[in-house]
Amino acid sequence: MAFREIDLNMGPQHPSTHGVLRLKLSVDNEVVLRVEPVLGYLHRGMEKLWESLTYAQVVPLTDRLDYLASLSNNLAYCLAVEKLAGIEVPKRAQYIRVALVELQRLASHLAWAGFMANDIGAMSVLLYGFEAREDILDIFEEYCGARLTVHGVRIGGVIRDVDATLVSRIRAVLERIPHRLEDIRALLDENRIWKERTVGVGRIAAGDAIDYGLTGPPLRASGVAWDMRKDIPYSSYDDFDFDVPLGANGDVYDRYFVRLEEICQSIRIVGQALDGLPEGDFKAKVPRVLKIPPGEAFHTIESPKGVLGFTVRSDGTDKPERVKMKSPSFINLQSLEHMCRGNLFSDVIGILGSLDIVLGEIDK
Amino acid sequence: MSRLGHFLKSFFLVDIFRGLAVTLRLYFSRKVTIEYPETVKEPAARFRGLPRLYRDDKGEPLCIACKACQRACGTNCFDIEGRREEGAKFTRPEKFDWKLDRCSFCGFCVEICPTNAIRFSHEFRLTGIRKDGLLFHRDDMYLTGDDLQKHLCGGCRRAQ
Amino acid sequence: MTPFVADLLIPVGKIVAVILYPMVMVMVMIWLERRVVALMQGRLGPNRVGFQGVLQPVADALKLFFKEDIIPRQADKLLFNISPILVMFSSLLAFCFVPLGEPIRIGTYTLTLWIAESQVGLLIVLGLSSISVFGVIFGGWASNSKYPLMGALRSVVQVLSYEIPLGLTVLTVAFVARSMDLVEIVRRQEASGVWYGFLMPISFVVFWISAVAETNRAPFDLPEAESELVAGYHTEYSGMKFAYFYMAEYAHMVLVSSLVVILFFGGWLPPFPSVKALDFLDAVPGFAWYLIKIMFFLYLYVWIRATFPRYRFDSLIRLVWKWLIPLALANFLAVVLVRHLR
Repeated sequence: MAFREIDLNMGPQHPSTHGVLRLKLSVDNEVVLRVEPVLGYLHRGMEKLWESLTYAQVVPLTDRLDYLASLSNNLAYCLAVEKLAGIEVPKRAQYIRVALVELQRLASHLAWAGFMANDIGAMSVLLYGFEAREDILDIFEEYCGARLTVHGVRIGGVIRDVDATLVSRIRAVLERIPHRLEDIRALLDENRIWKERTVGVGRIAAGDAIDYGLTGPPLRASGVAWDMRKDIPYSSYDDFDFDVPLGANGDVYDRYFVRLEEICQSIRIVGQALDGLPEGDFKAKVPRVLKIPPGEAFHTIESPKGVLGFTVRSDGTDKPERVKMKSPSFINLQSLEHMCRGNLFSDVIGILGSLDIVLGEIDK
Repeated sequence: MSRLGHFLKSFFLVDIFRGLAVTLRLYFSRKVTIEYPETVKEPAARFRGLPRLYRDDKGEPLCIACKACQRACGTNCFDIEGRREEGAKFTRPEKFDWKLDRCSFCGFCVEICPTNAIRFSHEFRLTGIRKDGLLFHRDDMYLTGDDLQKHLCGGCRRAQ
Repeated sequence: MTPFVADLLIPVGKIVAVILYPMVMVMVMIWLERRVVALMQGRLGPNRVGFQGVLQPVADALKLFFKEDIIPRQADKLLFNISPILVMFSSLLAFCFVPLGEPIRIGTYTLTLWIAESQVGLLIVLGLSSISVFGVIFGGWASNSKYPLMGALRSVVQVLSYEIPLGLTVLTVAFVARSMDLVEIVRRQEASGVWYGFLMPISFVVFWISAVAETNRAPFDLPEAESELVAGYHTEYSGMKFAYFYMAEYAHMVLVSSLVVILFFGGWLPPFPSVKALDFLDAVPGFAWYLIKIMFFLYLYVWIRATFPRYRFDSLIRLVWKWLIPLALANFLAVVLVRHLR
């Protein structure tokens, strides 16, 4: 039975689309020709909503964008507002922010590893990743009370100081995560089935990656050494010593490998941040009602998904005039078609998993 | 490694056995599952459960109806009206309506309250079967435990 | 022993046993799969319904029993209804030829632990288990929907391709045992003192891989995996018909495990017959050994499912045609050569 070009719909309800994403595929005899993502199923009108809230009231809502890495969203927005208002964040707060955000990166990558492996069939890795993630979520619960929508980074600093018990708890958790990572690597890294499904699949060259605006681990997997934490450091990242893993081929296997290496690097950074915690305040003095004179500021950070940026425009009142978010998943999704073209449609799932998109971020 | 080495590793299914060894080891490991509802894990001290109003040691309500929480809230959960009795020392809330379906558990109301009247409790069982169970009037804001469940379930036969 | 008992009651009893045995094993398998996969993943699995969750399969079966039976409007009603029956029928019928132990003497009567013994029993079992392909293709076609049809076609291609190495490895066993009678094969293993799984490990491994692919189990379960685009031939089925497909897959697994045990691991024989110190193992009846060995292979099925990702369809087909079939052929030639040189 020969198939000519047919249209397939990977509908909004699908176990593997990481949220409500609709993909319209056009396949020719199993080979993918076109992929058109249809978005908007999770649109909540965030950017418009933020115009009617004060600067501080926006922060908890940024949690709900990339809900797997909420502290990163908090941080990006707070850095943009601090840049706009000229608020100086104390050194201790910056170090605590780095520790929190890197822990969040660990949690996000562990969840990603689980989801991607589950889509390709290795269902145990999902549970292993989530069990490791539970430890990190317990730390967030102890630090500020919430596990998922953390709201721990505030304008001017963080919600509260870390004390010695919390530091020792974090160190204990950091001891355990490499063992779980070893298990996941033993199951997947050298596995022939995993390599068959990921090596050489969904390839994107470095030049194309830059043209498409790809950022984050997919860009680094294609060999482009761009990491905001190293290239345009923020929040004292230049004080820390860590490596940026790079891939060579830009295929699904490299994206997987780069993220697992980033987990190891994040563990290093958190250790260094806790070791070198300077004295000082955990939050700058910010007026209760924050009014910012008219201006505009744009700040980007390296979130687990890629380069996350916020533009904040103020008009002198206590509410922002406009907040625009540049979400990495939205831009990375553009390159899905380039990556899928020429591959079989069974690979679309694997490629989508390796891009690590979160619909909350895409649809806002 | 040499090509022969690679071929032998592949022929003797080394990666397959390595994977099987991992799952076998974890098969015998201690499981971290907590079997709810027989065992209930107590949340951390700062856990953001349901916001509740509290009384002081003498049993007097702490809320003075200053409406700071209403101003701080980003999602319009509160509707407060205060009244000061003749000769009374403090303003007391006459009406304190709070909507659970709007709360995002951000904690601004808790942080800003000058008398520490509204605080996060450890209540995390927040399900009900009717929407009017999600609206709390002034006296409902002090309910915890089973009374809270009765309010949330709003007349469910099982709650009786 | 009256003729009534010998000619009517005992055969009817055996037929009932042959139907019950796979069904009971299916129930055990459902429980085993859910519990073992869960424990390997670091969680507990069903442990509330009955002691340690053993009544969970009963709860599942009852749930499926009460579900609404939906037939798509344009579906071909006859084929739609027949396909679950065909799939179940092929597995159950093959069990008639699977021997469970040496005949037992009760007084003057010899009770054989099989329904039929044939000199080409091996061929018959393989042939009967292949009838399930018809059920799959009828189910996919009759569902009148392109995704089940594609899933059914893929499943059929997979099963047909993997039957070739299956047959080739089985041929090595038949060659060494000089017989295709399943009872004879076990007796030859007893006589030669070494089980064929240790004598011809390559045959065993290729047979096992093919068997896992034949039963559409992980890592070869692309045609029926939920997270893939194409949903599988049993998408449109609900309620008891879906339960039939589900149970038939497990029954097929039990059948294939039985075959592995009989052909490669001595059927009902106790291990280490030559070691005198372990003679007490003979006290355990053959049927018990057989069950223990089958349980090991069923556990292996579940273990493999919990561990490995899924093969993509073209990798699957490339694996069998480029690697398994040449390997099975080479293995067969090697076995023949070694035997000839003896």
